[in-house]
Amino acid sequence: MTNEMLEFRLHGRGGQGIVVAAVIFAEAMFLEGYYARAFSLYGAERRGAPVTAFIRASKERLMPRSRIYQPDYVVVFDSTLSGSTLIAGLKEEGTLLINSGENWNKNLPREILPEKLFKINTIDALEIAWKHKLTIGSFPMVNTVMLGALARISGLASLENLITSIKKKVTVRIDANISAATEGYESVKEVGQLAT
Amino acid sequence: MPFELISGSQAVAIAVQRVGVDLVAAYPITPQTAIVETLASIDAKGELGGEFVSVESEYAALAFCKGAAAAGARVFTATSSHGLAYMHEMIHWCSGARLPIVMVNVNRAIGAPWCLDPDQGDSLSQRDTGWLQIYCSSAQEVFDTVLQAFALSEELLLPSMVIYDGFYISHTYEAVDVPEKQIVRRFIGPPVFPAQVKPGSLGNLHGLTTSETQLGLIRRRHEDMLRAPALFDQINDRFAQIFGRRYKVIDSVIPPGSKTVILTVGATAETVRWCLPKLKDIGLIQLRMFRPFPAERLGSLLKAHEVERVVVIDRNCSVGMGGIFAQELRAAIYGMTNPPAVDDLILAGGVDLTVKMLENMLDSRSAESRVGQKWGTDLQ
Repeated sequence: MTNEMLEFRLHGRGGQGIVVAAVIFAEAMFLEGYYARAFSLYGAERRGAPVTAFIRASKERLMPRSRIYQPDYVVVFDSTLSGSTLIAGLKEEGTLLINSGENWNKNLPREILPEKLFKINTIDALEIAWKHKLTIGSFPMVNTVMLGALARISGLASLENLITSIKKKVTVRIDANISAATEGYESVKEVGQLAT
Repeated sequence: MPFELISGSQAVAIAVQRVGVDLVAAYPITPQTAIVETLASIDAKGELGGEFVSVESEYAALAFCKGAAAAGARVFTATSSHGLAYMHEMIHWCSGARLPIVMVNVNRAIGAPWCLDPDQGDSLSQRDTGWLQIYCSSAQEVFDTVLQAFALSEELLLPSMVIYDGFYISHTYEAVDVPEKQIVRRFIGPPVFPAQVKPGSLGNLHGLTTSETQLGLIRRRHEDMLRAPALFDQINDRFAQIFGRRYKVIDSVIPPGSKTVILTVGATAETVRWCLPKLKDIGLIQLRMFRPFPAERLGSLLKAHEVERVVVIDRNCSVGMGGIFAQELRAAIYGMTNPPAVDDLILAGGVDLTVKMLENMLDSRSAESRVGQKWGTDLQ
């Protein structure tokens, strides 16, 4: 537990379940004793369009009601999204979690990287989602895998509380989602720090 | 008591189920949709306890509510933006008919062009329709205010609008204490207001009248509405005994010696409250009740603290005049000895209030402009 306010920004595409992912993680943090909030902003939401969701958490109930401009954590569900948008405002010493196998850095813009270090972690959530047959049509659902990874690298929610939250907020394929989250928790790897 | 991580709009739907209504008639519109969806799913499980009517428009939604309330039913509806504008004629009609309808409006900008962010122009454009207006700043407050609005309305025989910001509250999942129905029932029982129409009886409602009679009716509505602040306090005494929480008509934090206060409503009030420890000698006045306008209480508060400058945050703009909360404040303090200067930060369109914007606003002085208006986007 930390006394500071913690801010997360989740980037993905419509259909990847990032809004519900923010709610699940907020609930898991709530179970850890944080006042956690999850929220999203609307554009014209549709499958494939870029979507952003937020989590804000603190031990105090009072928190600002504004967007998140300087996140402590950025979680990237789709590494083909615009790299400059992804890392905009990410705090110094902030943490980046990317859904990617190899070549995790190919889309991050070298030219705008500030003179600061991010802790970078990757998880091949796509492969894990396929493995657990978490698909809607042919669309892989990576959100619970990403949450398992986020729980591990942040240390802000135990796997146990994450699973409790998944059971509460997920309505289909609960067991597969729990297995996927567990595998995400176990498979995430730190690939190092990125500097200019 | 059980806490649930739910959105502001889910909180509304559960509050309506807990109060127990005879009829819900509503039409979905972003960002209000989750209210209608959640009520529909409660109804699908057979747990609404009243009738859920899917109507063809917002106008029909309020017309359904009007008819049912005239028969003595407790009714609820919810909308946003264009939906509220579409109801406009009915909104007048319900207050003139003295029907204790409760409606939630989730603030969203009105077109053209399309914009989904929480501009308050929708609810403020219904300022003069004779409905109570209460602005909320959290999901818990939304839940609790829906409960209290039924109590207020049914006592005053006036309709209430419970209002909060789209997305910053409607789509924010946060911890809400959700009391069980039997506990809510200790606060508010079944409706007891009189039915205006009864099955089998013949009569004419709201027929053509004279200007003098109409004046008398408007005067009575006005005088009854002015009872709302004192009644709100009484209701909150009772509410606090059951739930351990209470709300004020005007919620202020003014540290000793603060000569500048920020006045605002809803989500931005909570952002300011969070910023207060970082701002030097700045106070906050969160206006919860906007209709009736608590002019007397506001004047006494500003006088008691010898406030010299009020910075109003208006997430709205009456084009050709400026921010509406600032206008109302200026009218309320007119004639006061040593009235504070009123500066206005306009976030029309539903622009997000950032800490930097707030600091820049506090640093700017209004000397260069007669009415001290600043546009949020100039202060980013």
